[in-house]
Amino acid sequence: MFEIGLFSYLVIGLILFATGILVMIARKNIIAILLGIELILNAAALNFVAYSKYSVGNLDGHVFSLFIIVVAAAEAAVGLAIVIRFFQIKETAHIDDAVLLKN
Amino acid sequence: MDYTITSIAPIILLPFFAFVIGAFVVSKSQKLAVGISTAAIIGSFLFSLRVFFDFVFGKYATNYYIHKYFTWFDISSETQEFVVNMGIYFDNMSAVMMLMVTGVGSLIHVFSIFYMKEDKRVGHFFVYMSLFISAMIGLVLSDNLFSLFVFWEIMGFCSYSLIGFYVKAEGAGVASLKAFMTTRMGDVFFLLGILSIWTTIGSVTYVDIYKAIHLGEFNGITALGMPLVTFAGLAIFMGTVGKSAQFPLQVWLPDAMWGPTPCSALIHAATMVSAGVYLSLRIYPLLDAGGLTTIVAYVGAITAFGAATMALVQTDIKAVMAYSTISQLGYMVLGIGVGAWNAAFMHLIAHAIFKAALFLSCGSIIHELHDHHTHSHVQEMTRMGGLRKKMPITFMVMLFCTFAISGVPFFSGFVSKDRILGDALLRATESGTFIPVAILGFSAAFLTAFYMFRMMFLTFFGEPKDKDLYHHTHQEHLSITRNVPLIILATFTLGIFFSGSLTGQGFVKVFPKDHGYEWFQTLIEKPDGKNYLEHKKQLFAFEDVKPELELRHGHYDPNHGMDEHQAHHSHAVHGWGAIMSIIIAFSGIFLSYSVYYKKRFSPDFFVNRVPGYYKALRNKYYFDYFYIDILIQKVLFGLNNLIAFFDMGIYDRYVVDGWEKVNKVCFKIAKRFDDSVIDLGVDFTGFTVKGGSSLLKVVQSGKVQLYFIIAIVVVAGYIATLLYGGI
Repeated sequence: MFEIGLFSYLVIGLILFATGILVMIARKNIIAILLGIELILNAAALNFVAYSKYSVGNLDGHVFSLFIIVVAAAEAAVGLAIVIRFFQIKETAHIDDAVLLKN
Repeated sequence: MDYTITSIAPIILLPFFAFVIGAFVVSKSQKLAVGISTAAIIGSFLFSLRVFFDFVFGKYATNYYIHKYFTWFDISSETQEFVVNMGIYFDNMSAVMMLMVTGVGSLIHVFSIFYMKEDKRVGHFFVYMSLFISAMIGLVLSDNLFSLFVFWEIMGFCSYSLIGFYVKAEGAGVASLKAFMTTRMGDVFFLLGILSIWTTIGSVTYVDIYKAIHLGEFNGITALGMPLVTFAGLAIFMGTVGKSAQFPLQVWLPDAMWGPTPCSALIHAATMVSAGVYLSLRIYPLLDAGGLTTIVAYVGAITAFGAATMALVQTDIKAVMAYSTISQLGYMVLGIGVGAWNAAFMHLIAHAIFKAALFLSCGSIIHELHDHHTHSHVQEMTRMGGLRKKMPITFMVMLFCTFAISGVPFFSGFVSKDRILGDALLRATESGTFIPVAILGFSAAFLTAFYMFRMMFLTFFGEPKDKDLYHHTHQEHLSITRNVPLIILATFTLGIFFSGSLTGQGFVKVFPKDHGYEWFQTLIEKPDGKNYLEHKKQLFAFEDVKPELELRHGHYDPNHGMDEHQAHHSHAVHGWGAIMSIIIAFSGIFLSYSVYYKKRFSPDFFVNRVPGYYKALRNKYYFDYFYIDILIQKVLFGLNNLIAFFDMGIYDRYVVDGWEKVNKVCFKIAKRFDDSVIDLGVDFTGFTVKGGSSLLKVVQSGKVQLYFIIAIVVVAGYIATLLYGGI
């Protein structure tokens, strides 16, 4: 029967990663894009933990994933702050309206 | 007390600073400029008096000199040396010359205060005089021909400015131009001579020239087909000819009398014209080595005689003085030519003193003779006469000076001129070529006595010819600025200041002392290269000048280094010469006395005998006619027209205009090429840049998600390359 191992984790990580990419590309809402980014980061963290458990055999991967979670939190805070500021100015959260640097 | 450079420098710096300061203050205050200038020259005189007593009567010997230099500019490269040094060279001769320049200069400054007091531009006059004096002192101090030339030209400029000082007089401008251009003729050759020496021995200091001549460094070098030393000597002597108004460039000096009389006294009688003779005295070894003495003697003799004859017919009192100056300068040059070096220098000094006094006396007369109808001063002797009673002091001074110039015993002119004539006679006994020189010299002496006393009789004796003018003339009273300079100068026309013996040959001794009574002859020696072989140049520094040479205290050698037989011959000739000069001088005076005082016979007697010659004299031997009407008007203008024809008619028309046509065609071709080829390239560059930019603009849309896709595609591409690139 199908045994749960490294491959399964990698598949889930891949699915998460692909979903994140798709969200980032497809959605026009900035908050959704930030969610996509969180998904990608989580995919990476899952890969670290999976490799750490099945392949390397020490705790380096765990430490990295903890770092990633902290960095993701910080990044989400900064990103949301930017979004709020942007919303105050433009009264929208649509990515295509973020054209202040153009022209 | 040793001798320092600080005691020489003020002599030149005082008048120079007076000039600089005067040039600034003169527009504010004319009187201040006058005061500064006069004070500076008197201060300068006191300094040179001290130097004079140190050098001539004091502790220094005959061969003592100071020679210090500094580098003016140095543009040497590795392959070629080119250093120009300036410096001072100071010996007994410089000391005497310096005392004469500053002494006569300060007396003339004092007199000018009187003479120029009514002029509105009196301050400008004194500023020019200060510049002139500093240039003259610089010339005397110069240790090389080049810096001498620089000062020489500054003096030429001052002369030019002062001749044209009366800007409203119509002749003055022309005269100043004539003086400047004529002397320039000589200066061109002078510069050529300097350069020829420079290129040969790499230096133009007197000492180096003397040494080079002594060591024979000029031997075998030729220029223009003659030995270089002859060429250089002749070229430099041309400078003398121009500056000292010698034949054939004498034409400028009579016209120079347009200037104010004190300036004529200082520049055109005492100092600047003597500077030419001074130059010849300095380069005497060059003239001697070049074998030019005969030419020099002939130039001097012709000038002395020719100018004396022209002076006979002048009616303007200053013109008489001018011709007499030319004549006396001719004597000096004659003296150099016949080897009477020392006597020529003595005559220079004596002449400077008595001629300055004569000019100042003329100034004293002219200033007082004021024509109330034309409001101008009178210079014509035909309107004077009987002024003896009105101007007793001026009369006495002028009488003394006239005695001196005529060669009456006990006066300075006799001592110096007689020695020159004696040497001319001596050379005539040795070689036939010098016989005409001696004859011309003695004839000129006769004429000098005649025309000078003619001037005296016409001016001071007889009945006044213009009664109205005579009555308006004020009686002369002793005044400091007017008479004291005259009296001091007249005192120094006495012969005892120049020579203790009456004739300069030591056979009538006034002071019966073995040595020392011939100070002039003893202390001032003809330059000779062998005295300078040990010479070392010293850089300028404000420290004591230590004489490095063995000092030789001179003593008078009555035989002049000749053996007993020659000396006997020489003394005999000089004795006869002295007797002849006395007879000639007194016969000239007597003839003048008979014609112009006693009126035994009229001057028309001579005029009617030789009317053509009289006409020639009145027209200055047609020199002006020859130079201006023929040389300039015909030859130079013709040449000018010929060159103008070449320039305008041929060169301008065909070459310049033709070149314009060629350029036009070239322009057209170039324009077409530019438009079609070059512009195409330029446009293509612009076009490609524009196209590229519009192409690249597409990706830079500002859409973040597009950038993200591109980034993913690129990263995916990298990964694909890494994974499968190796296959």
